[in-house]
Order: sequence, then structure tokens, then C-alpha cells
Amino acid sequence: MHLLDLTRSLEALLFISPRPVSTADLRAACVADEAEFAQSLKELRNEYSAGRHGIELAEIAGGLTFRVAGACEAAVERLAGARRPDDLSPALVETLAVVAYLQPTTRAEVAQVRGVSSEWALSSLVERGLAEERGRADTPGAPILYGTTDRFLTLFGLPDLEQLPEIGSFALSTRETDELRARLLANAERRRP
Amino acid sequence: MTRTLAAALTRPGSLDDLHFDLDVFDGPFDLLVTLILKEEVDLWEVRVSRIVADYALRLAESDEFDLEATSHFIVMVAALLEMKSRRLLSDGTLVDDEEFAEVEEAGEELAVSLARYTQFKRAADGLAQRYLEHAGRRYRGLPVPERFLRLVCDEQRLPADGLVDALTVLLAAPPAPDIGHITDLALSVVQELCRLRDLLDRNGHFTFAAVAPRDRLEKAVTFFALLELHNRGEARLQQSSSFADIVVRRRDAPRASGEGDALAAVG
Repeated sequence: MHLLDLTRSLEALLFISPRPVSTADLRAACVADEAEFAQSLKELRNEYSAGRHGIELAEIAGGLTFRVAGACEAAVERLAGARRPDDLSPALVETLAVVAYLQPTTRAEVAQVRGVSSEWALSSLVERGLAEERGRADTPGAPILYGTTDRFLTLFGLPDLEQLPEIGSFALSTRETDELRARLLANAERRRP
Repeated sequence: MTRTLAAALTRPGSLDDLHFDLDVFDGPFDLLVTLILKEEVDLWEVRVSRIVADYALRLAESDEFDLEATSHFIVMVAALLEMKSRRLLSDGTLVDDEEFAEVEEAGEELAVSLARYTQFKRAADGLAQRYLEHAGRRYRGLPVPERFLRLVCDEQRLPADGLVDALTVLLAAPPAPDIGHITDLALSVVQELCRLRDLLDRNGHFTFAAVAPRDRLEKAVTFFALLELHNRGEARLQQSSSFADIVVRRRDAPRASGEGDALAAVG
């Protein structure tokens, strides 16, 4: 297929799809060889990069999709109405973070990290489509395993879970850990008179 | 997501009797990390044990109470406080080194748990920030136009009358199921009781399998009658093994006449 035709085909596929499309599916639909497909995709990414059009090409939830450019949100809101994103409390986000980084994980494991019961939070996340059940653990009691969903990736602007910052980057530094331990174990000699 | 202790204080000013708004904390680890790592209030002016106990009680009354997690937390804090109290001994000596090692291990476990919690708390803060940046973005949310659908149910739009007709069928009550094939039992417990008693009077013994009807429900009725015979002390039941046949033997002399008529009147 001619390169321009291929690029236009990709554009049409992404326009018509109501959800992100993987590059594998796009290439299969276009019946293109790898090199031509890569070149066309590169041109399309460049054409629809931020700031050039009212829509931009984004890589979200394992695929490519068009989304409204940030600068055009106001006009879209006047036409389509205001968005009402989910109201996520700190407890829900905290639970979601544990699930995202430890998945597949159990309710008990989440409770062990947070120090409180997470039953309500997990149920709420499942209802909101941000978490889902992933079978059962092969341990006594066969507890339910939880993981995040594609909707989680979409709402948090992630192409895939690999794009989450490393959990190690949030670890306490050696100085902070030493300070925590020292303050836990501090003795009475430091008490003020 | 972090907060200062000053913001959590409901009655600032008197450090000897601090009160905290425990609702602002997301859990006991959040409370303890805030107490330990924030420096607005000197730890030694705060009675950690009382605050933690208050918080544990608050948790126990809430929907977020997890017995295992809270118990584990209290054990760790108790061990920590015991270790701190031991260090208050003027000469610094400890009664039992092994016991102290256990206490120190619990304190270390608490430090590790708090560090781990803080790590995920920071990850959650990062996710929350990301959510604020991305959650409002709009993606294609409109359905695919009808003309692009591969399958079309009807070339013309379904008229309202057609929808009403379809719903009327669904809303109509279903016909009552036919239960004509289900018949009443031909036996009663009283009737079977009399029959089994007659068998015992004539033969002195029988087996349940030999006298029970083939029908399952009727067999159950006969079994109830057999149990009644046993309860009245008229028969002894023996079974050589589980699920083996039941041997029934007469225990007493045949009953006097008239007793069966009284039973029939009751039954």
C-alpha cells in the first residue's frame, strides 16, 4: 500500500474505534509490512502530536487512540457537557496504589500494607471498573486475587503498567529510614525537663 | 495526602493533653508515621500509647476494622512501648536478654511496616497527581454510527407500537406450572406404625429393606414410623455397619388392643 494511503487508513481506523487499538490490530487491518507500518505510524504520531490539531494521538491502555486536545476542552465541554470524573478518596487511591504495584494481590495483603481493612475500598474500586478479580490464590482459603483494569490505565494516562514509576523510587531514603528507626527507639534521656 | 499534626489537633495549646481528629488519618500506620516523622510536636510531649489506643478503639467501631491487621499493629506498638520503658531503667540493665531481643525484633518489624506503608503512601500521592492530570481527558465516547455496524437488526427503525407489543409479552404473568404429575402420599406415619407393629407381633422381627416401599417419599414415612416404634420402646434397631440394612426386633410383648385406635385418632 502506498505510504500516504496507509497513513490515511491508520487515521480512519483510529477515528472510528471507540477504544484504544493495539498496533498489532492496526497493522493487521491495514495488511501492511512492518517497515511501512512503522513509518506511517511515525508520520501519524507527528501529525497528531500535541498542539497541532484539536485532537491528539495518545498511547493509552495498550493501544492508540485519539483524544481531545487539552486546549479545546472548554469548547467540547460547552457542547458535550462537563465531565464528572470519579471522586477518588485518599483511601481509594491508597488501595489502588497497593493493587497496582502488587497485583495480583489479595485483600489480606492490601490490609497488611495499609493497616486497615480494605474490603470496602476494593469493592468500591471493582464497582468503578478500576480493579477486577483475577481468580484465586493457590493458598489456604483460596482468597480472591485483584488487579487493575484497562479503565485504570485510561484514567491515569498510562499506556501500560510498565509505565508506572518504579515502586523503589518511593522508598524511604537511608537517612529517612534511620530517622524513623531512631525516633521509634528514642530513649527518655531526650525528654525535656 | 500528608497533613501536619497541628492541623489534626482539635485542642491545640496544651501539649499535656492532646486531642487529635482521628478521622483525618487513613489508618493506624498513617497516624504513627505522622506522629513519628513530622516534627511540629515533640514526640516526648505526646502520649503515643493513648493516641494509638484511641485510634484502635475508633477502628473497632468503624467499617474499616480488620481484626488481624489491627491486632498485629497493636502487638508491634506494645512491643515498642515496652522497649522504650525498659530503656528508662537508670542502670540500663535488662532482666531477660531473650525477651528484650523479641521486643527489639517487634520494634524493628514496626519500623519496617511503617517504612513500607510510607512507600505506598507516596506512590498513592503520585497516582493522585497523575489522576488530576489525566482523568479529565476526553476520548471517543460516542457509539459507532449505525451505518458502520456490521450487523443490522432491521433496515427501518423499530416503531414505538412494536416496542410496546414486545414489552407486553414480557410483562405478562407466566402461566402457573402444571403440577398434576405430583400426587399426595398414599401413606401416613400412623398407618405405617400400625403395619410395622403388626409385623413385629406376627414375626418378632423384620428388616427395613424388606418392608420399606419403593417410592422414596413413602420409604421416608416408613422410616419415621420405625423411629417412633423405637422411641416408644417397642422395637430394638440394629445395624451392622453404616448404610447396612436395619434389623428390627420386638422388645416387649405384643401390645394390648385399642392402643392403635387411639394413635389413629391422633394421626
